[in-house]
Amino acid sequence: MLTIELEGRKIKVPEGLTVIEALWDTGHDVKRGIGCLSGLCGACTVAYLEAGAQRVKFGLGCQTVVAEGMNVIMLPYFPSRMARYDMESMTSPLQELAAHYPELATCNDCKACNICPEWIDVAGFVKTSREGGYESTAEKVMGCHMCGLCASRCPKSIAPQYVGLYIQRSCARQRPIPPNLAKRMEQMAVLAEDSEFAQVAALNQAELEAYCRKILDS
Amino acid sequence: MYPADLLKSLELVHSTRERRMAESLPRLEELQRNELLQTYHPDYKDAAFRNLRVGANKGDRVTHEFADLLESFSDLDHARINLQPEFTTDVLVLGGGGAGVTAALFAESLGARVLLATKLRLGNSNTIMALGGMQASVAEEDSPLRHFADTMIAGNFAGRASLVKALVEDGPHIVKWLLDIGVNFDRNILGNLATKNAGGLSAPRILSIGDHTGLNIMKVLKDEMRKSNRIELLEFTPAVELATDADGACNGAILYDLGRRRHLAVQARAVILATGGAGRLHNQGFPTSNNFGATGDAVVLAYRAGAGIEGMDSFQYHPTGVMFPDHMVGVLVTEAIRSLGAHLVNGNGERFVNELETRDLVAAAIIREVEGGRGVRTPSGKIGVWLDIPVLEELLEKGMLKKRFPSLFKQFRRVKIDITKRPLLIYPTLHYQNGGILIDEQGESTVSNLFVAGEAAGGIHGRNRAMGNSLLDIFVFGRRAGLAAVERRHAVPGPLSLNHVTRYYDRLKSLRISSVAKSPTLFPEFIVDKL
Repeated sequence: MLTIELEGRKIKVPEGLTVIEALWDTGHDVKRGIGCLSGLCGACTVAYLEAGAQRVKFGLGCQTVVAEGMNVIMLPYFPSRMARYDMESMTSPLQELAAHYPELATCNDCKACNICPEWIDVAGFVKTSREGGYESTAEKVMGCHMCGLCASRCPKSIAPQYVGLYIQRSCARQRPIPPNLAKRMEQMAVLAEDSEFAQVAALNQAELEAYCRKILDS
Repeated sequence: MYPADLLKSLELVHSTRERRMAESLPRLEELQRNELLQTYHPDYKDAAFRNLRVGANKGDRVTHEFADLLESFSDLDHARINLQPEFTTDVLVLGGGGAGVTAALFAESLGARVLLATKLRLGNSNTIMALGGMQASVAEEDSPLRHFADTMIAGNFAGRASLVKALVEDGPHIVKWLLDIGVNFDRNILGNLATKNAGGLSAPRILSIGDHTGLNIMKVLKDEMRKSNRIELLEFTPAVELATDADGACNGAILYDLGRRRHLAVQARAVILATGGAGRLHNQGFPTSNNFGATGDAVVLAYRAGAGIEGMDSFQYHPTGVMFPDHMVGVLVTEAIRSLGAHLVNGNGERFVNELETRDLVAAAIIREVEGGRGVRTPSGKIGVWLDIPVLEELLEKGMLKKRFPSLFKQFRRVKIDITKRPLLIYPTLHYQNGGILIDEQGESTVSNLFVAGEAAGGIHGRNRAMGNSLLDIFVFGRRAGLAAVERRHAVPGPLSLNHVTRYYDRLKSLRISSVAKSPTLFPEFIVDKL
């Protein structure tokens, strides 16, 4: 058994449990802050201090295994402002970024936001966002699961996760329609595949099997 | 970090790599395939199933886990609950994953008022966990007809042709919609959508966003949800029963507010059930890749309301679920790893199946190795086989794993396992409910005004789902259900009743079934198996 401080309460728990499992094991009926239990969704962020350590660390509760002397709380949500917009109605959303997130300009690059449990270089993408390096920002936030831990550290109340998502969406919208998709949609508009499907509907099981195998052989 | 025993077994994996790279394993003949499935696949283990004694599908073969839920009573005191609606809406969407949110967005787009209620936080779902990608026939050498044929064959021809037709024909249109709202699918240098191969596909058809495809789609969908005032959201409020009118048509639901610990009734002109699958029922004791809320609620609710179900004896056990370390047991390793040529290696350092066979066959082959004593045991007694991921760096190029699988790389970096150097110990994990509530092409169940979308729906994937078809299915049928549900908005819903529940219970009692299980389950029990 290990002794840890869990949600402000000193308690013994078995070895090998994650923070979430330790909470359940000690009778905390936690539902809020539980998600995929695979380290992918960002629902279960925790803040913890390891025995003898000075600096608070952050992580995912479903993937952080408790250790002797750990002091840990769940931090599943942090309030941050998100802009409201209708992206489909905007012609060049990137030009409207500053209007939706004016606080971005106040960043003084203190790098306090670099606590990402996914090891994203948050300060790095906030910087490229400010400087107009939007494609590079979009690339960097692909692994962001929007847990919002970074926003909890920002002295200027910037919410990097929302800024990143805005840029990611804007960049995707600005790309031209992929030629292969455009071509397929053109083909589908004129091709009479529907008549072929009408025949399919009339097939019995054996004929259907033969039909499918024939398509794949062609 | 691997302990000493496993490191020793790993030496064998490393020392046999060169020899294995020279090998090519033949694909199985039809007879061999049938024998492998019938001997080792969990769907064929007769003792794990029984026939339903009540309801629309009385006599059907289902898993014990589902039979237990369907032949049981609810915590809800249905005779005493206040059925006065606290909310009235045009469309009630139950479930906040990809299917539910898509349904809500399309219903809203036609001017409907929508209420979306979800058990957990909006977006917490299996959608977010979809790693590998989504099928859509956009490649030059591909076509919707090929997609149709592949899907039918993968499902062993148990899928319904009309639903599969809807799936494959909507595919390219769904891709266009997702691009329009700002989803950034990977592209090649020509600006074409990049398409990848997968087990059982006759053309490259998998679209992806790195190895976190579902996450990046769900982020955008959640953002879209915020733009309209016509969509109201209730989080941490699971549905515990559907409501019906005097004719048995669905006209609302009973929700449970987890925070306030009280029930509330919602009246709606149409209901869309999109609460996902059932991995957390842990069929036959298998680990699962599913999220915390996947407890099969949809099938329980719809079945009590009289809806027909199909294929509830068929589940997908994804071949590559993590077996070490203990706290990651069940977590998925994307099939894209196998598609690219990673080896499955048993405890003797041998490959034992062509890794590009369909998921059901590969899973059965892994179980065969473990049951035959050729598995590898972890310190806590779990047994699996090795997935040789580092071989990809030699087969393809150095550095590709970190570049193309950043999510997987990070997941294991946390536990100090470097996937570019170390194989992972894996075993099949309960991944997907192949069957579900029977729907038509518009997503409507056999109960009027009750629509179903996503994993809760059945009839599409037959007895085995091909990679990438569920991510497509949630958008195709989410959209169709959302659009069709809006058409019911002119019918005035009658008073809410739970008469269907009373009738269902009467049948249970007449059969002297007095199960102690309560359903819907809502949340899995926490069992510490490490003590």
